[in-house]
Amino acid sequence: LRFVFGSCALQALDLVDQRSVTCVSSPSGRKAFQVLGGSGRLYTLFTSCHYCPCPAFSFSVLRRNESLMCKHLLAACLSQTMGLCQQEQVSDQQMTHILSGQTEAST
Amino acid sequence: MADILGVVFRRFASGTITSNVIFPSHLEGNTLVLGDVNTPFQSLPVSLRASIPGLKLESLKNAKFVYVKTLEELVEDVASLHELASEAASPPSLIIVDGLDLYLHGSRVGPLQDDLSPVAHVAALLHDTAAFLTQILQNRADGQGLCRVMVSFQSESEGSRDSEALAPELLLSVLDRYLQVRCTLEEVKGNGEAGLNKWQVYLSAMCPSRVEQWHMLLQAGGALEFSPVIEGERQILEQPDKCKKENKRYGDG
Repeated sequence: LRFVFGSCALQALDLVDQRSVTCVSSPSGRKAFQVLGGSGRLYTLFTSCHYCPCPAFSFSVLRRNESLMCKHLLAACLSQTMGLCQQEQVSDQQMTHILSGQTEAST
Repeated sequence: MADILGVVFRRFASGTITSNVIFPSHLEGNTLVLGDVNTPFQSLPVSLRASIPGLKLESLKNAKFVYVKTLEELVEDVASLHELASEAASPPSLIIVDGLDLYLHGSRVGPLQDDLSPVAHVAALLHDTAAFLTQILQNRADGQGLCRVMVSFQSESEGSRDSEALAPELLLSVLDRYLQVRCTLEEVKGNGEAGLNKWQVYLSAMCPSRVEQWHMLLQAGGALEFSPVIEGERQILEQPDKCKKENKRYGDG
């Protein structure tokens, strides 16, 4: 993992250990991942493609094309594969807010 | 989307309009068009009206036009499409976003004006939404049905380049990650014929990698003609003059 993903591999595994990844679903069947970062901010990820609103993804992946993914994306992939995602049900309207990036960290 | 564009180009090829060109049945369905509120669609293209007499914009019952002012409104409209899954009406099989560059230019606020996250967010959201709606369409149509995405993006215009704006190729490279087919329109300078605008059309797909080229002729009355570029002519067109470039990106859900 470290060879392929670099330093974010260990950070991602820490997030997995902390059970920081939640699979959010709504009655329509739409799903998304939410990852609680170290700073307490909640990052919303999509299930069908790689995107994360964190600065590291924007800089290292999109702009510099140096990394395949950020630690949040890697943590979501690992959690899903290992069956360690938390599950949460929300309404369709709440899912709309989550997907549009309007939802911040929950307490 | 490359198959749809190929049909459209052949449909309006130079010479006699080939009325026997038929769209594949799995392409039928509803269309959602999201566009700039300041430039609403007023009428159908001239070529389309010429080929189907009596056709009016209101006749497109399967097309829903939504005009949004800001990137935030656009994102919220796309993010809410999953709510259609529970309704009896069929969700859209084609989502068109017209003028994405306008929304991105208007969204730059705060210190992170060079952030690529907004364009990546909207492109990824479109991709994910299309993937979800494809599942819905397939569940309702015994495994058939596909939701596709089409985005238009004008990468350059003379005299209006903002020095603080992100390089267009950088934005397009982000769109490349989420939308698999790019159709580039480049205006050819120095046509020599009054009232005619010539364009080069490049249709490129990422996987499998392939490029198709077409000529597009825009006549004074608004009619369009397409003609394919033959293999020998393709080599001559390797370095075209670039005056005005517009890109359309397409992704299959």
